[in-house]
Amino acid sequence: MSIVEINDVYKRFGAVTAVEGLSLSIDEPGVVALLGPNGAGKTTTIDMLLGLRRPTSGSVRVLGRDPSVSHVRERIGCAPQQGGVPESLRVREILEFVAAQYPRSITVKQALSDFSLTSYAGRQAGVLSGGELRRLTLALAFIGKPDLVFLDEPTNGLDVEARRSVWEYIRAYASGGGTILLTTHHMEEAEALASRICVMNKGRLVREGTPAEIRRGGLRRVSYLDAAGAKVVTETGDSDAFVRDLVLNDVPFRDLCVVEQSLEDAVLSLLEEGAAV
Amino acid sequence: MTTLRVAGSSIRLQLLELARRPGFVVPTMGFPALFFSLFDLQYARAHPDIAGDMMLSYIAFAIIGVTLFQFGIGVAVDRTLPWERYLRTLPAPVWLRFTSRIVVAALFALCSAAFVVAVATIAASVRFSFGQWLFIAACAAAGAIPFVLFGLAIGYWTSPKAAVPIANIFYLLLSFAGGLWLPPSMLPDFAKAISPFTPTRQFANLLWNAPHGFSASALFALAGFAALFAAIAAAGYRRDRATRFA
Repeated sequence: MSIVEINDVYKRFGAVTAVEGLSLSIDEPGVVALLGPNGAGKTTTIDMLLGLRRPTSGSVRVLGRDPSVSHVRERIGCAPQQGGVPESLRVREILEFVAAQYPRSITVKQALSDFSLTSYAGRQAGVLSGGELRRLTLALAFIGKPDLVFLDEPTNGLDVEARRSVWEYIRAYASGGGTILLTTHHMEEAEALASRICVMNKGRLVREGTPAEIRRGGLRRVSYLDAAGAKVVTETGDSDAFVRDLVLNDVPFRDLCVVEQSLEDAVLSLLEEGAAV
Repeated sequence: MTTLRVAGSSIRLQLLELARRPGFVVPTMGFPALFFSLFDLQYARAHPDIAGDMMLSYIAFAIIGVTLFQFGIGVAVDRTLPWERYLRTLPAPVWLRFTSRIVVAALFALCSAAFVVAVATIAASVRFSFGQWLFIAACAAAGAIPFVLFGLAIGYWTSPKAAVPIANIFYLLLSFAGGLWLPPSMLPDFAKAISPFTPTRQFANLLWNAPHGFSASALFALAGFAALFAAIAAAGYRRDRATRFA
């Protein structure tokens, strides 16, 4: 049984097509990153997986069933949007409420400690800082021990230390057999966490694969200093052939450097290819 | 068991939210008793024969206020919040959260009506037997249903900002025309003419009869209003779903 199965899904809002013929399946636990520019259809896709929206056509299955049934929702988790928790309620109260919604949840105490919120348990949500609120909403996504967690920009607004600890938590969750589908604009985050990356643009899936596969599809950057000591930089799909040409043609060079493209460059060039079509 | 636990946690959360807003809760809860004390208590003390009826009018006033504010303004505001969107991703079905909302509103209304009863009992010597109170409470609960639906109709058809004046206008106009403040016989001609056709008047009729009998015609009329408001609220709910969650 697939964890997530999206089959030829279209989603239209009036004249706007947010998702156009998307097919995607997640069959193994792990972290999957959904990348793409604003307006690529990522949020609409996640809304459909959460059962908040219905596809115009095509089918969406989560854990083998329609995501709007409560049996599926017992096994999925997501975080409220930033600023989306009632301000007058205390951190502990919000966690207790959400924990009570799930048939098997971790304890509130555990959630507080996992997300470094223990000392904020008695604070009202309205007085928390952005980073504290973010940790609270992440705790809400995980408190019900879900099999599948949806995270939208999970570490936005977190400082470096807090980001690392959230990454640690996500990694540990995935290695414990959980699946996390996250969207992010930070390539570093996708690279650090995801075992699989799906790049979306204009409502379509442009490319999917491991981070290494996504990068391999792209160009490499070759640079060297010529006889005059000036730096020459070239991007090429076949760096081997390029260097062979340099040698065969007796082009003088030193400090030769071949660099694999960064994930960010690879994704950008994918998006540009898409735009060119 | 799970259902009870989920409903319980939902009720607790709403009560906590209310408890953190005393500036909203206390005036809203005490308003009908205050209104009664200021405008009609003196009259009720002077006319013990109708003091009971006047108290019952203000009980209706209290209940209608809670239903229009909790379900009208409350739903209009909540349905646009990101928190509401998040709640929809939780396992509990929508009806369960709605049920907890009804429980919270009922508690709220009970408190608000209790203030009116306290004023009437202490200051105007209104006395009913336990059996009479029980039947009054049953009639009050039944009569509240069309107003819950009326509140939902406002909540689903108006924006958060528009809901406040709209709920207030309906609340005050219908209370006046329904004869909750002045007995129907003392209303101006126009209000007197439309009074029997308002849901507030039918609610009042039901309560005025409760201590000594039962008004089937009032209950029938209220059922009709309930059906009408249910249809409007349901259409609004579907429209909201279609724009927000389709």
